[in-house]
Amino acid sequence: MTVIERVKQLPSDVWTSIFRNPLPHTDHGRAATSFTNFFLHLHPVKVNRNTLRPMYTMGLGLISLFLFLILTVSGILLMFYYVPSTTQAYDRMLDLRGSVAFGTFLRNMHRWAAHAMVAAVALHMARVFLTGAYKKPREFNWVVGMILFLLTLFSSFTGYLLPWDQLAFWAITVGTAIAGYAPVIGKEMKFVLLGDATVGQEALLRFYVLHVAVLPAIVTLMVMIHFWRIRKDGGLSRPPEAEAAITQPDSISVQVVAGAKPNGGSYGLMGFVRGPFTKTGNVPDNSVFSWPNLFLAELFVFVLTVAGILVVAHFFGAPLEEPVNIMHPPNPAKAPWYFLGLQELVSYSAFWGGVGIPGIEVLILLLVPYIDRSPRGVGVWFAKERILANSLFMLFAVVNVILMIIGTFFRGPNWSFVSPW
Amino acid sequence: MRLALAIASIVALTVHGFVFYDQFFHKWERHQTAYFDQARSRATSEAEKAELADRSPKIEQIMVTQFGETRVDRCVTCHAAIDDPRFKDYSQPLKVHTYSAAMGDRMVGGKWERRHKFSDFGCTVCHDGQGRGLENFYSHGEDPFWPEPLLGFVAQKEWREEFKKKLISKDYMEAACAQCHTQENFAGTPNLNKGRQLFFAKNCYGCHKIEGLSDGTLGPELTEVGKKWKLDYLWESIVDPRANLATSFMPKFTLTDDEVKSLVIFLKSRHGLNFNETSLERYRAHLGVAKLDSSAEVKPVTGDLKVIGAQLAKDRACAACHKIGEVDGGIAPDLSFEGLMKDEKWIGDHFRNPRIVTPDSIMPAFRFTAHDFDAMTAYLANLKTPPKLESPEATYKALCLRCHGEKGNGAGPVSTYLDPYPRDLTKSGFFNSKPKERFLKSIKEGVPGTSMPSWAKVMSEAQIAGVFDYVQTTFIKDARRDLKDRKVPEKNPVASSAESIAHGETVYLARCTGCHGRKADGKGPNALDILPRPRNLRNSFFVNTADDKRLMESILYGVQGSAMPPWIDIGLSQNDAGDILNYIRSLNPRR
Repeated sequence: MTVIERVKQLPSDVWTSIFRNPLPHTDHGRAATSFTNFFLHLHPVKVNRNTLRPMYTMGLGLISLFLFLILTVSGILLMFYYVPSTTQAYDRMLDLRGSVAFGTFLRNMHRWAAHAMVAAVALHMARVFLTGAYKKPREFNWVVGMILFLLTLFSSFTGYLLPWDQLAFWAITVGTAIAGYAPVIGKEMKFVLLGDATVGQEALLRFYVLHVAVLPAIVTLMVMIHFWRIRKDGGLSRPPEAEAAITQPDSISVQVVAGAKPNGGSYGLMGFVRGPFTKTGNVPDNSVFSWPNLFLAELFVFVLTVAGILVVAHFFGAPLEEPVNIMHPPNPAKAPWYFLGLQELVSYSAFWGGVGIPGIEVLILLLVPYIDRSPRGVGVWFAKERILANSLFMLFAVVNVILMIIGTFFRGPNWSFVSPW
Repeated sequence: MRLALAIASIVALTVHGFVFYDQFFHKWERHQTAYFDQARSRATSEAEKAELADRSPKIEQIMVTQFGETRVDRCVTCHAAIDDPRFKDYSQPLKVHTYSAAMGDRMVGGKWERRHKFSDFGCTVCHDGQGRGLENFYSHGEDPFWPEPLLGFVAQKEWREEFKKKLISKDYMEAACAQCHTQENFAGTPNLNKGRQLFFAKNCYGCHKIEGLSDGTLGPELTEVGKKWKLDYLWESIVDPRANLATSFMPKFTLTDDEVKSLVIFLKSRHGLNFNETSLERYRAHLGVAKLDSSAEVKPVTGDLKVIGAQLAKDRACAACHKIGEVDGGIAPDLSFEGLMKDEKWIGDHFRNPRIVTPDSIMPAFRFTAHDFDAMTAYLANLKTPPKLESPEATYKALCLRCHGEKGNGAGPVSTYLDPYPRDLTKSGFFNSKPKERFLKSIKEGVPGTSMPSWAKVMSEAQIAGVFDYVQTTFIKDARRDLKDRKVPEKNPVASSAESIAHGETVYLARCTGCHGRKADGKGPNALDILPRPRNLRNSFFVNTADDKRLMESILYGVQGSAMPPWIDIGLSQNDAGDILNYIRSLNPRR
């Protein structure tokens, strides 16, 4: 090989050293592409066709993930300008709006992505419930998902305080006051959260640290567990019909019985795999290669999410109200919209509205897979077999949404009923 | 799906385009470029031209550290020619800031030198507005969320339409001047000085506290009012006090627009601690106010108390509310011949705490020295010249109309500030169910615990009869009928005992609270819908002077022309009424 040929070869050498596989044209190549790329190997090589049905998942889980990524990126950029100090925070907001390059846009994106993520996670939860996807073996992943939902709410809530304007200050005052109604630990919990009797410098610092470090780290960890379990649980839930009949006899699966020690006391790696082995060979099944089917779908959801947030961030400004004035509460002082249902309930009874009912709701939701143990009705929207469970869930969802709407639009000064028209 | 993907990508790209456009094509760059161009064309030396040619638009700012928290004023980013006298005839934003000798600017060697240098003061110290903003909407404070719009230049969209025009005027900037120029009667702030005078002349100080100036307690404290509220709110609160607080009993003062403006400027200047003050000085001032009282007590002014009192009454602006002679504040009772209506003791007691003698009075309890009170009491007690009264009609108009109203319906000009309200003289049902002697007595002796004074020394017996006849024919109209014979005992038939009072309370709580209220203060849930208002049964001066017979009659037979029903018809016995009366009497112990 001449020197010139070697030099000519260099770019493609560099390329192949980074991307091990050329664009695939064969099934083997498609499998290898998924397998040899760090990001793609998080996915299975092949996915069930049902997983790719847009109307089955509506991409809500992915949207939540991408929103989280947008929030992380925009949030890190915002961190370069923000100071969690009661004397500086608001001025920094004015700087972001006035003189920082792309400052307004970043803040808008972060704000709307945060609201959108709360909504997307909640809708994702509704999707999983209404398709019965939390059933065996995915019970615990539902619990992980619930924890992620609560973390999302808490992240959004802690971020709400950071602009240090009237909206932030009084929403957090109301929100933490609700937390204070919890029995036994309520007062202590509020104090630990605020670091003071009222919302002030300590609270701002605590909320900031929670918002930029503690909660994102926990969310990342929980997201990893969430995804890992999806793969270990055999991909997304699907109805039994979606599985093609396996023509090979069951004998292909090797059940390792605990206690039996082949090969003189050590297990082969495959010995730990439960259930049927990954199918090899040309067994007829209902799956397609992840490359390009799954990845294209994911890319589509990503671009759609980004486009949506960009458009909203361009046309709608994130609110920035008056600087904090402790002597002058707005009337009414409202919590963020996702807590307005709670605030509405609190207006009837502080304990039951703020702690009792939401506590029971969260507990029941956490325990859903262990209460509803029938294996039927998985993988289908509004399955006939699940009419009771689905109706109860819809009732719960509709009541909560109605309460939020009342709290948002129909409540005026002194929390009296007003017509928005 | 690929088509949808393509469309979504294009949308994302387009928005990026918009965002970048917004980011790199600012309005302020155009203003600066225009300034460079204009300045270059007017430049005299080549060096200056070259220097201007080298400059490119960038955000300019002034950091101001001397005045409170650090301010960052980026106003000069657009207002680039602010210190360039060549730009005298340009329009904003490329106009030079006016030089004015009145502001302390001096001509030195043919060049103006500013007293308030922008490098020291920045812009927002004097003008307000948002120094960090770079768009008009934000920097000029048009954004309704910004608490400090450009003083006197910007009226926010939410402000009341009828006030907007009145709030646009350079004069409002005096409020900012006063943050440093705190001395009284500073020549640069004529409107503010007038506002300060009005604050005392109109008796605002009587109800409102401003630390270091006044210590009224009846109304909201105004020490930091200028920091808390915008011009619009201040104006509205003065001319329409109930617009912001439905339950406010602040009087509507008769003020010209100019006076309101001066007051607004004065109030806008109240920021609590101003730039010129340290907290230590503020504390000293606070102590000083207290000292003023005690030192005056040690060293009473000698001389005729009446004369001193007259001067004090003038200085303390009694006539901002009351009528004294020709001056009428239009809010509180006529004091022109107070000495004929009240004795010295009553006036003295009333001064120290008006609610001791008139329980529902809104008059503030002023914290003057004992000597001042004595002097003013002496002055008022000696106002003993009865008015000249010709006909009964003229008498009514001169003496009664202010409370009872032109039409006799109890809605006189000052009636809204009186509690209880003046009697509605058109309710013939009421007047024709009571003996005439009672009304003559009310006029002669007044009604204790209310604003109805005793007229016996102001009017002669004949005049009083004449006025009542005038009221009878003009307002009551219905001819007097013979009174029905009612069986009312002269004395309460039930002797007062713990048992009787307890039973009375039970019946009271069951039957009377709807109107008279649980506290018997006449403010029950229905009270607001009823005219005349239910009687405050804790008004000891009234209750203790009304005899058993009158109160028993009111309970048993009701009060015609009011909402009080005849309880004898709805299940109360005479003994029940007696118990209730004992209960009411027990609420008003005789001192």
